[in-house]
Amino acid sequence: MKTNKSLVLGLWSLALCLTGCHGIEEWDNNPEGNFQALWTVVDEHYCFFKEKDVDWDEVRTRYAQRISNDMNSTQLFDACADMLAELKDGHVNLTSWFNTSYYTNWWSDYPQNFDERLVEQYYLNFDYRSIGASKYAILNENIGYIRYPSFDSSIGDGNIDGILNYFSLCTGLIFDIRDNGGGALTNSEKWAMRFTTDRVLAGYMINKTGPGHDDLSEPFEYYFDPVTDEHLVWTKPVVVLTNRSTFSAANNFVSVVQYFPNVKIAGARTGGGSGIPITMEIPCGWGVRMSSVSVLDAKGNTTEFGIDPSPGCEVDLDQELALQGIDTMIERAIEILNSDW
Amino acid sequence: MRILLTIIAALWALMPMNAQQTDSLCAKPLRPVYSAYMAEVGSGHLADTYLTPLHYNGIHVGLLYERTQAMKFSPEKWIQQLVIGLDGDITENLAKNANMYNAALQVSWRMMRRWQIQPDLTLGFGGAGTIDGGCLYLDRNGNNPAQAQCSITVDAAGYAAWKHQLWKIPFTLRYQAVLPLTGAFFAPNYGQLYYQIYLGDRDHLAHCAWWGNFFRLDNLLTADLHFGATTLRLGYRAEIFSSKVNNIVSRNISHSFVLGICTEWISLRPGKKLPDARIISAY
Repeated sequence: MKTNKSLVLGLWSLALCLTGCHGIEEWDNNPEGNFQALWTVVDEHYCFFKEKDVDWDEVRTRYAQRISNDMNSTQLFDACADMLAELKDGHVNLTSWFNTSYYTNWWSDYPQNFDERLVEQYYLNFDYRSIGASKYAILNENIGYIRYPSFDSSIGDGNIDGILNYFSLCTGLIFDIRDNGGGALTNSEKWAMRFTTDRVLAGYMINKTGPGHDDLSEPFEYYFDPVTDEHLVWTKPVVVLTNRSTFSAANNFVSVVQYFPNVKIAGARTGGGSGIPITMEIPCGWGVRMSSVSVLDAKGNTTEFGIDPSPGCEVDLDQELALQGIDTMIERAIEILNSDW
Repeated sequence: MRILLTIIAALWALMPMNAQQTDSLCAKPLRPVYSAYMAEVGSGHLADTYLTPLHYNGIHVGLLYERTQAMKFSPEKWIQQLVIGLDGDITENLAKNANMYNAALQVSWRMMRRWQIQPDLTLGFGGAGTIDGGCLYLDRNGNNPAQAQCSITVDAAGYAAWKHQLWKIPFTLRYQAVLPLTGAFFAPNYGQLYYQIYLGDRDHLAHCAWWGNFFRLDNLLTADLHFGATTLRLGYRAEIFSSKVNNIVSRNISHSFVLGICTEWISLRPGKKLPDARIISAY
């Protein structure tokens, strides 16, 4: 019986010892503890410190001076949001029950280059087809036009077939993803693979392998497979229209299709956002979202800071002409499609 | 001569009886199955640094089926046990603004040598093989909402059973523990997304388990109150799991009250007489 008791005690001691060895850092649920927790989870999971040239230790020292345990939630939130803005990353947010912080300068410092009313009134004549997130119509020059404002929601393969079939007699296609803030990579992949018949190297992914800033995996090359034979593929010329608010999954879409021989990127530099964000949280329950996996394009270039239009295809929206009903970016896209490819 | 014939006749006459007795001694013993159907409810604690650095606490529920039987090859000494468990946890963080859920299925087969230390005390010790599959889901997360927890392990298993009476009700007090010794388990890389795994980045997902990176201890303390053919089981179960690999720490701890019904049964062909055989209970 004594042996039996010793065995049970031994097992429980072992359990306590080994679960203790697998420690999880904990913080106090007060402003200083939450600030420290926020700094630490970003320190251990954010993937772009090197690209952004941010000295995160220095950032902590500077912002810690603004933190005290007698501050209220709003003051703490503002200080934490300012600290996160140092990363200059549109994928970084702090979410509390009363506010969500959002770094905007990646697009607000640039011309918007998109006027939805202008497009709908003067190019689509408020007469267009719509399925899912897309609006589409045939322009006067026998060019197909698809407005795709978000990759958030999924679209069926049959729906895409229907859209492409509608354009079957067109000579070219404009895929307008200005102001497309992204969504799911699987949705952007779905569209990308309608512009090629080949299996393509989509790019590379690099994830964190540990909490250190340099703990990064080897680039993993990932491929997109072509759609099956029963689905339509558009192999005629395509111009993808972009602006600074083309971000995240839309930026990833551009990073993949920019190397397709039948695709040109026109407009303005995209907004970037090549990191895939994850969510963490701090003791007070606020959520923090941050880039954790870096996605490179097929040539191994980072697209975190945006992708330039194809050579000779840069164009901004002329505000004066816009008042006369002319979208200079769509006009340029039509020119490109009508030129020798 | 007469005497000799008488002896031969007597032996002849006894032969069927002898043969019958020999058959009875050599016949395969009957090994009844002791089945326990249990439900458990208690507190659950979840943590997984892949999903969140915070600890989540809440309720734990589970269903457990335990089938114990003496083994065929040496029924007096060896028993086998099949345990199938379905566990679930519903937990929330300290701020109570996010929930983490856990669902897991565990199948374990155990084989233990038993020793009758005293008439009322039995000890058992042996090995086990366990397959465990489950998933944690954190409802606030976007691209990292879930974490799979799968393992296959070789375990040490042991028990102590003490039979006694309480107010003339026979009962069996039993403590059983299972401790994985080694095996393999799944874990993604530190910051690897399941989307990357879906795209084909599947290297280094399986890990060799040892106590330094994978520890689980399943404790079950039960009191079986034998009311005739049916047994009421009351108990306490503590499951402790902790792993640390790729700088990801996972922890599932639960403490539960167990309520169950047990029966001991023998499977017989309809119409066949109950053979005159030894019955060797596993319990």
